[in-house]
Amino acid sequence: MPIASTLKVLIVDDQNSVRQMTRLTLEELGIRQIYEAENGKSAFQTATLQPVDLIISDFNMPEMDGLGLLRAVRGHQAIRKLPFILLTGRGDRELVVKAAQAGVNNYLVKPFTTPILREKIEQVLGKLT
Amino acid sequence: MSSFEQLKHTFFDECSDLLQQVEQGLTDIREQNGSDDTVNAVFRAVHSIKGGAGIFGFDSLVGFAHVFETVLDAIRSDRLAISPDNVDTLLTAGDVLSDLVTMSRAGETPAEDYGRDCRMALEALMCIEQGEEGEALGEDFADLDFVPVPFVPDEEEESGHVYEISFRPGAELLKKGNEPLFILRELRALGTLELSADAARVPPLSEIEFDQPYVSWTGTLKTSADLAAVEGVFDFVSDDCDLSIVEKASAPALALPPDAPTPVPEVGAPVMPEPLPAAMAPPLVPADAPKPVEAGEAKAALAKPAETKAAPPKAVATTTRVELEKIDRVVNMVGELVIAQAMLGQIVQDLPEHISGRLLQTLDEVVHHTRELKDSVMSMRAQPVGAVFQRMPRLVRELATKTGKKVRLEMSGENTEVDRSIVEQLADPLTHIIRNSVDHGIEKPADRLASGKSEEGTIRLGAEHRGGRIVIEIKDDGAGVNPERVLKKARERGLVSADAQLTDDEITNLIFMPGFSTAETVSDISGRGVGMDVVRRNIQDIGGRISLKSERGKGMTIQLALPLTLAVMDGMVIRVGRETYVVPMSAMVECLRPPRSDIHGLVGTRGMLRLRGELLPIVHLGELLDVASTESDAGGVVIIAEAGEDIRFGLRVDELCGHQQVVIKSIEESYGSIPGIAAATILGNGRVAFILDTEKLYEMAASEPPAPAGAIRSENAAFALGN
Repeated sequence: MPIASTLKVLIVDDQNSVRQMTRLTLEELGIRQIYEAENGKSAFQTATLQPVDLIISDFNMPEMDGLGLLRAVRGHQAIRKLPFILLTGRGDRELVVKAAQAGVNNYLVKPFTTPILREKIEQVLGKLT
Repeated sequence: MSSFEQLKHTFFDECSDLLQQVEQGLTDIREQNGSDDTVNAVFRAVHSIKGGAGIFGFDSLVGFAHVFETVLDAIRSDRLAISPDNVDTLLTAGDVLSDLVTMSRAGETPAEDYGRDCRMALEALMCIEQGEEGEALGEDFADLDFVPVPFVPDEEEESGHVYEISFRPGAELLKKGNEPLFILRELRALGTLELSADAARVPPLSEIEFDQPYVSWTGTLKTSADLAAVEGVFDFVSDDCDLSIVEKASAPALALPPDAPTPVPEVGAPVMPEPLPAAMAPPLVPADAPKPVEAGEAKAALAKPAETKAAPPKAVATTTRVELEKIDRVVNMVGELVIAQAMLGQIVQDLPEHISGRLLQTLDEVVHHTRELKDSVMSMRAQPVGAVFQRMPRLVRELATKTGKKVRLEMSGENTEVDRSIVEQLADPLTHIIRNSVDHGIEKPADRLASGKSEEGTIRLGAEHRGGRIVIEIKDDGAGVNPERVLKKARERGLVSADAQLTDDEITNLIFMPGFSTAETVSDISGRGVGMDVVRRNIQDIGGRISLKSERGKGMTIQLALPLTLAVMDGMVIRVGRETYVVPMSAMVECLRPPRSDIHGLVGTRGMLRLRGELLPIVHLGELLDVASTESDAGGVVIIAEAGEDIRFGLRVDELCGHQQVVIKSIEESYGSIPGIAAATILGNGRVAFILDTEKLYEMAASEPPAPAGAIRSENAAFALGN
């Protein structure tokens, strides 16, 4: 069972406010080790340079979007199994289909509440303690 | 949750940027400069606004953004073509979105039907059924057959090996030109490497020998490569190190137990091979030093590996938002630094030469660095004028609709940068000028056709750097100023006497007189009692100049020339009698000591200077400010200064004291506006000196008959002398 306080989560979103909100929500779940990236490209760098246990990434970003990041992660030998949750807006149904094909672990529709976030993470990583 | 409020604030800041992108993008699309990327960028911006608005609970914003976004999505996926009508609808939608953001920011709840027309227009484009977006928030796509994929930790890489590695470089390793760092990097290239460094043997800095390796490493390598390949990495150093590579049967230390996917446990202090060494090599090493030296230094820096572990890098961002106040504080400090440095320079100069020599050298460096520091801080404050320009397309659109005119706005030089305080103060004057242009300048379509022009009027708004200033030009192809009407109005209002003979240019400039407005009827667009005089005042307040050129029937051009910064400037320190003044370098063209034969007496002037075939009026600063000159008429220096476009004159002073950066200190708060004086500054000797306004000086000289000293208004004279 993953221990929340040891979990390393990488948040990827080009909007600072959304990153911070996600960070706050994660902190409510007891997650303390949170990295941030502004786009897929820098997220990919971060994920390859240091240990990360989970990526929560937005779709819409300049440089490299969420789907691009997902594909890059899945194509990289060392981190190809890295758990990946995609943030989507409502209405992005087709995106979820594409992400599922690309091997996303889960998706999360914005806006979300703390319990929903917990549920989505636990569906992937197991119960948080 | 106060951090929540703060985040809201951040969100709205982002919204301003995003809205700008929307506006910019849509304008480009309208001008047909847009590419697929443009539509994409607009879509992304609207989408981001929607996403954030959802999180922060601004439902009306989400609702509208959603419809807007749907249309944009259709356009970018070629399901909807771009037509002029569509673009207009999109532009209006951008405006509505911007209004909704503004309202949400102010904490107002927008009326239920706000922007309904626009929304319906958008929906009509897409044939979206009303209320389609009313899906429950945050819900999953229930109809979607998505099953979350639980993370199954790697049991073991298919053909994976796990090696336990212990590597202790021997005494000779560095001496032979080998670099442990490269070896570790190579090792990492093979797979997942987890190492911890043992720095226990690193001696105190003073005892470090640069060619001795003090650090050793132990850890595990998870790789598909075989033992030979791993050993191969150490080929060159195998004789000079203690090395052990042992393959483990399985990898419990790395692979996670299936039921407990906890993150990889950290073994001691993991060394991140890549980023660390870069930070480790201090620039103490001369470039031509042999390799091992660098490595030795690196070892020394490794002495406290625990610290590197403690602080994981946080956000990976290339920009950061800083509160303006903080930057302003730095600007002020730099200002003070400039003054202190000038004082230091003064003191050093007074010292005997054998002491001052080296000091001066060092001081020169300080001066150099201060200047660079100033420039960097100023560039931090700099903002592209585009921030203000952005608001204009919408203004023009709204005004055009209201007045039933057709107007196109063309912009250039939006990226020209200028101090942000100037950008801020530019908004009002610019808005006013553009309003005037649309309201009074551009004619109604029928009138335009009648006078042989195209139906659509054009306003060009441009910015560029020119000689240490930024010049902003607003040019329209409207009717221009009607001199007869202006003169008639000016006479009615008693602004000029009935028998005054004025040139067309002078008449045109009457519109800058207080209380002047030529619109026959006061419309609700311009002519609210705020006239061009206020515009001129505003521009002058930030040290700028405004000039106007009009060609009847062809249009009007207004030019604003503004300083780049308001805090520090280049100045020439000059002396007249016992007073010291500063002339802005930006106003100076050249300095000379003209021979007497080049100065011609001309009735009604204080003399004209013949300069390369051109006659320039001479203004005696001492007389103008009522300061007794210590030089005879023949002596002194003449500064050729600029007073507005194409106007040059000679400013006669007693002596040039030197070129210096001066910090601008406003005196208006304490003393009000003083003709001829732009501001004050503090010089190296601690004394206050006034910064001259050459344009005003020229005007003063031109409006006053050449008279003996003392004719200048007494309060100014007293002030000038009283310092």
